[in-house]
Amino acid sequence: MDFKEEQVSIKQDPEQQERQQDHFNDVQIKQEPHDHDGEDSQFTNGTQDHDDDDTFDAGEPVVKAESGAGIGITTSHNETGQVLPDQSEVKFIRRQINGYVGFANLPKQWHRKSIKNGFNFNLLCVGSNGIGKTTLMKTLFNNDDIEANLVNDHEEELTTDQEEEGHEDQAQNQTHKVKIKSYETVLEENGVKLNLNVVDTEGFGDFLNNDQDSWNPIIKEINSRFDQYLDAENKINRRSINDKRIHACLYFIEPTGHYLKPLDLTFMQMVHEKCNLIPVIAKSDILTDEEILGFKKSIMGQLAQSNIELFKPPIYSNDDAENSSLSERLFTNLPYAVVGSNDLVENYNGSQVRGRSYPWGVIEVDNDSHSDFNLLKNLLIKQFMEELKERTNSTLYENYRSSKLANLGIKQDNSVFKEFDPISKQQEEKTLHEAKLAKLEVEMKTVFQQKVSEKEKKLQKSETELFARHKEMKEKLTKQLKALEDKKKQLELSINNASPNVNHSPIPTKKKGFLR
Amino acid sequence: MSAATATAAPVPPPVGISNLPNQRYKIVNEEGGTFTVMLCGESGLGKTTFINTLFQTVLKRADGQQHRQEPIRKTVEIDITRALLEEKHFELRVNVIDTPGFGDNVNNNKAWQPLVDFIDDQHDSYMRQEQQPYRTKKFDLRVHAVLYFIRPTGHGLKPIDIETMKRLSTRANLIPVIAKADTLTAQELQQFKSRIRQVIEAQEIRIFTPPLDADSKEDAKSGSNSDSAAVEHARQLIEAMPFAIVGSEKKFDNGQGTQVVARKYPWGLVEIENDSHCDFRKLRALLLRTYLLDLISTTQEMHYETYRRLRLEGHENTGEGNEDFTLPAIAPARKLSHNPRYKEEENALKKYFTDQVKAEEQRFRQWEQNIVNERIRLNGDLEEIQGKVKKLEEQVKSLQVKKSHLK
Repeated sequence: MDFKEEQVSIKQDPEQQERQQDHFNDVQIKQEPHDHDGEDSQFTNGTQDHDDDDTFDAGEPVVKAESGAGIGITTSHNETGQVLPDQSEVKFIRRQINGYVGFANLPKQWHRKSIKNGFNFNLLCVGSNGIGKTTLMKTLFNNDDIEANLVNDHEEELTTDQEEEGHEDQAQNQTHKVKIKSYETVLEENGVKLNLNVVDTEGFGDFLNNDQDSWNPIIKEINSRFDQYLDAENKINRRSINDKRIHACLYFIEPTGHYLKPLDLTFMQMVHEKCNLIPVIAKSDILTDEEILGFKKSIMGQLAQSNIELFKPPIYSNDDAENSSLSERLFTNLPYAVVGSNDLVENYNGSQVRGRSYPWGVIEVDNDSHSDFNLLKNLLIKQFMEELKERTNSTLYENYRSSKLANLGIKQDNSVFKEFDPISKQQEEKTLHEAKLAKLEVEMKTVFQQKVSEKEKKLQKSETELFARHKEMKEKLTKQLKALEDKKKQLELSINNASPNVNHSPIPTKKKGFLR
Repeated sequence: MSAATATAAPVPPPVGISNLPNQRYKIVNEEGGTFTVMLCGESGLGKTTFINTLFQTVLKRADGQQHRQEPIRKTVEIDITRALLEEKHFELRVNVIDTPGFGDNVNNNKAWQPLVDFIDDQHDSYMRQEQQPYRTKKFDLRVHAVLYFIRPTGHGLKPIDIETMKRLSTRANLIPVIAKADTLTAQELQQFKSRIRQVIEAQEIRIFTPPLDADSKEDAKSGSNSDSAAVEHARQLIEAMPFAIVGSEKKFDNGQGTQVVARKYPWGLVEIENDSHCDFRKLRALLLRTYLLDLISTTQEMHYETYRRLRLEGHENTGEGNEDFTLPAIAPARKLSHNPRYKEEENALKKYFTDQVKAEEQRFRQWEQNIVNERIRLNGDLEEIQGKVKKLEEQVKSLQVKKSHLK
């Protein structure tokens, strides 16, 4: 709890500070695409090996953003994976800190938290009956009760699966199925808790026709565990996600000393892209050292030929020589020739050891020179158990998820992958706003013009109507007037005729003229 | 075949489980980390100086000089500084989100909107990235901590402080700090702190506190000293909140021949890393040394998950033909932020049309009036003729009478 302070690096005199600020300009590195040509291939196929960069990758986002642009965005709707959209470069400052700021404690904080949270691991064991799967598990975890706690709900799930399948070939296959059983054990060592889930396959490779029935239930099991996780991840409430995904698959090879059987190869091919594959040569105490070497060589040759990828332990940049050479040794010695036994036997110098006793000698489980058991233990537990989980999560599961979602027709929208840029964000909003404004204007203008022209028409109409009516009335009246005038004239005429003065009297005309 | 486990024989070598935390350590160490911190507060409270003091390097330049010559901006802006810092071979990606001009205007109505929008935007963006089928590379600017700088008035919090903190605290880890605390005496500071704490409590503002639980019962059982010390340390931090801070990028001789980061006054030296002078060290422990991971995981597990849940509720994907798992729900796009200037422009446009409508209405009224006038004129015209007709009719009548007399 006592925070030891070290010297800080801030310069105190102004001149130096000035210089530091100049320097500041220099380190705002402009990312040039060609600086990172090496990276390019990495993200065009989102499936490259396990660079667990999904939580963090210092500086890389910038780099990738750049080179992403460089690779060329041919289609906006990309079906084949993640293609980063074209985006403006992002500047970042790169600094090395000499003082003690304290963020370097983050891994330590993780260390602490991981103890508090505990660990979990799901291990799949595949191999024929009697090959020593259970014994090896007991030996690895030094626990004879590893199969004491059968997880029940899981079994039920599987029986229904089997019944479903059984309809196709009921009579024949019902009994010829690989059974999957899963056991849970909580182990503790120096206050570190591990919730271990061993998934055992009963009856693998035991049948005459080792066809699909041998591996289908296993593949189904792996997939359904992925699906379960995917389901939990997609849920709206995902407060408690249980990781039941298979983190590693131990494949038990029979110690024939010759070659892998077709079943071995087929199975490994089916499974190597779904889980971290670790092949072991079981019961290797029946093979001599030379036989083991030869066997390993031919196995590795066969695997390489079939492009089967095994789990490769990483070398960390901070690893010392010892650690990195161990990582290499772990990989080059695959598949591990192992022997399992929790029995204590007396070895040649009289001490009690875990091993198997033969009339010709004692094979010690924990002795490096007797078997590869310790290599397996290092790879699977001591050094890389967390790494197996990392790769499962960031590579294997991701690949499964990607193809599953893509197959379901869920479209990839690459436009969401970009660095947040307040300026372009503002620009974007401005564009949206302007579009909105323009739309509003057009709408209002249309309505306005329509209203105006309607009103104009109406007014024009009433105007014309007014004139028309007037004209009509006027004509009518004029006609009336004319008729009356005529009538009057006639009357006057007849009066004049009837009067004593028959002669044309000038009076009416005169009168008429007066009237007019 | 069962082994004689109970015998006190030489124990087989450990299984290796106890090495798992070290594996985690190595993985994190290899991966590095990301830390995004938002600085929030009026200008002149030493936000830039603080961040430089915290990371012991010049991440941001005090560019206030440029800003001050410019007229005060109308809206708060977001300024992002990205850095990749390395300490003891551990790399941390640091994003500093600054909010220049926050609270500098006379009318600070909704001054928090851009900050809240930024935090929500980041959650939204991350959510959308996470939903894509291919998502190897994600861009993440989710804010892990918001430092809210309080002006050392000695009185209390301003309404804008309260309103802003309320809104920030439901979205991110809020850490209020008293800026430039060297302007307050020890007594004033204590009063100020307790007043702020009261307001925070009364207003139900949720501030980030280091976890105290630490499954203390189990730890007590296992007698782990380091854990009880950790709880004690956490308690001290909580009691000192809100932290009073002083920032400086300069070093001075503390009188005992040691160079310390400090502020020099004629009457004394304010040592930044002296617990009796200010709470800088406590804040640093909270932000980096001890609780960085808690800030990060709270952001992920609480704030991000809350945002995601609220956004996705009601938008469940009911895709058919898939029974294996739920399909990702898709939320509708985020609404445009309420930029007051945009609202103004919209209103101006509407007003323009209203004016036009008014002008046209005036024209129509005039037109209608003209029609009325014309009608009156024409009616007069008709009436005149009608008058003539009447007159004639009368004459005709009288003529008819005359005629009948003649007979």
